[in-house]
Amino acid sequence: MSDQVLLTTTVGSFGKPDYLQKARNANARGKLGESELTELERKATEEWIRRQERLDLDILVDGEMYRGDMVAYFAERLDGFRLGGLVRSYGNRYYHKPIIASKVARPKPMTVDWFRFSQSLTDRPVKGMLTGPYTMLDWSYNEAYKTRRDAALALAEVVRQEAEDLEAAGAKYIQIDEPAIHARPEEIEIAIEAMGVVTQNLKAKTVSHICYGDFAAIYPKVLELPVDQLDLAMANYGYRWLELFDKDPFTKELAIGIVDVHTHETETVAVAAEGIRKGLRYVSKERLLPHPDCGLKTRSVDESEEKCRVVVEATKLVRKELARQATPA
Amino acid sequence: MKTTVIGAYPKISDEHQDLRRALHRHDRGELDADGLSAVLDESTRWAIGELNWAGIDVINDGQIRWDDLLAPFARAWNGCDRGPLERFYDNNTYFRQPVITGPITTDGKTLVRDFEFARREARGDLKAAVCGPLTFATLVSEDSHYRSLEDRTLAVADAIAAEIRGLGAAGATLIDVEEPALVAHPEHFAIARAAMERLATAGVPLALQTYFFPADPLLDALAAFPIAQVGIDVRSRETHVLEKLTGLRQTVVLGIVDARNTRVETERELVGLIEAALKRIPAEYLWLAPTTGLEYLPHDIAVEKLKALVSAVHAIGGVKA
Repeated sequence: MSDQVLLTTTVGSFGKPDYLQKARNANARGKLGESELTELERKATEEWIRRQERLDLDILVDGEMYRGDMVAYFAERLDGFRLGGLVRSYGNRYYHKPIIASKVARPKPMTVDWFRFSQSLTDRPVKGMLTGPYTMLDWSYNEAYKTRRDAALALAEVVRQEAEDLEAAGAKYIQIDEPAIHARPEEIEIAIEAMGVVTQNLKAKTVSHICYGDFAAIYPKVLELPVDQLDLAMANYGYRWLELFDKDPFTKELAIGIVDVHTHETETVAVAAEGIRKGLRYVSKERLLPHPDCGLKTRSVDESEEKCRVVVEATKLVRKELARQATPA
Repeated sequence: MKTTVIGAYPKISDEHQDLRRALHRHDRGELDADGLSAVLDESTRWAIGELNWAGIDVINDGQIRWDDLLAPFARAWNGCDRGPLERFYDNNTYFRQPVITGPITTDGKTLVRDFEFARREARGDLKAAVCGPLTFATLVSEDSHYRSLEDRTLAVADAIAAEIRGLGAAGATLIDVEEPALVAHPEHFAIARAAMERLATAGVPLALQTYFFPADPLLDALAAFPIAQVGIDVRSRETHVLEKLTGLRQTVVLGIVDARNTRVETERELVGLIEAALKRIPAEYLWLAPTTGLEYLPHDIAVEKLKALVSAVHAIGGVKA
């Protein structure tokens, strides 16, 4: 894989199989025990690792079979949080929005066992997956800290501990997602400062996923976010963010979203490949990583798989073109 | 002083999840459109009942049928489709961005049936609501028809004015125009004002509701808007607006209960804000409200917030409608 260009990856979550969804519902109603649920989560995780290998993705994820919401999962495991009642995010989708009720602390690692388990199943690298401190703050109600900066920096400390534990467990890639980073563009300094706390001691490659918001409002300032790779939704936006790179060149590795994740239908391989070609105008093939726009947890297993298949097929098509161009006629 | 609410009320609670289940069944083809509509009506009845029970003087219908602020209009109007999902300002709440495909037209009856239903269910005063033209126009993802933001905003304003006429004919006597874009983009205030002038031609009293962002840079300009009420959020961000309310000629709807944070305000805190406002404006020109729609909160907290609002106003001697 090391010689390969246009490494393919995904953003983190996949659709959960029906048996797991049913088990989670049963668990929520108190009709299925934790250990039985965990067994099914492990089964689904292994299925997704095998599926990713079969699809020939290069950098894998554990698929987050054991997570519901990307903030609530951590909030449930950190001291200082309590979960509030249901709040709607869009359409008919609801989540338990966390409340920062007192000072936060991490009693023990939250994702490391899952990382170890999934990495043990494959020779391909599996990313450690965390939610960034600014997003944890922005997607929670803050009752405990006087300022948003205070809360973000306190959260950064617990995310740092988790990231360093993932690295110690062997993670070569650590992704710290900040999809809320453009929620308040005037606060981007806070997000940058908090991410600096998280990544300051890491040797692993660091990635941050950003999606669904006004990326233009934080560009080029976001290039100061202390991570190696930015992972951006692009297909959903018709690749318009790329035009920003004309004026201020993109300086990091770019994981580029080439299929929309909020539709049941998937773009054709030809359309997705065109997305990669657009990205190549701005970022070299060694530093461009095709992937779906966002996590696939809102899609079914089949839809998730189809979207990944299109990403890989499109990438292989463009790799062939690049190889032909590199070989003199 | 009167109490009121703005925007959407929680559509479900931990105990009352009929609508959530009905929408899932509708998605799976197990419930037809009429069946879903009946559940939407029932949920609207529930929300209205809760707002009445909380003792809010001037309620709305809770916008139970609205997926987001723009959805009813983007769905109903000609020349407009619903496009990609996008975050709604600085919330972890998403909406579908409108896509403009041609000239926007409407029969002006988009909200009439829902208003008439709510009118039958509500005890006491009921107001209607529409999306602000600048908010709609600035949140469009693509526009293949209008040439500028101003053209688009004014075209949206004409369509909204038609909706306001329809609501007025159905008996609405006060209509919220939810316009967060005005305070998010104060630089467009001249366009927003031209749009409001078109809405005012419908002849129904309007309440311009701004929220999420401080109104400080716009206070002087707002005084000249052709509106009966202006809503101002004093909780979401740092603001000195309470010290500058004197210049406004309209009734001020002051958002004093933070609809985006679960910490329930103390009576003392709220009374302090009301007293600060009363130093600048007479009580008959002051209404009190949550900062924005209570749907940003879990239902149990939304109920607590309503109670806090009503008890603070009663503590200071507000009159019930």
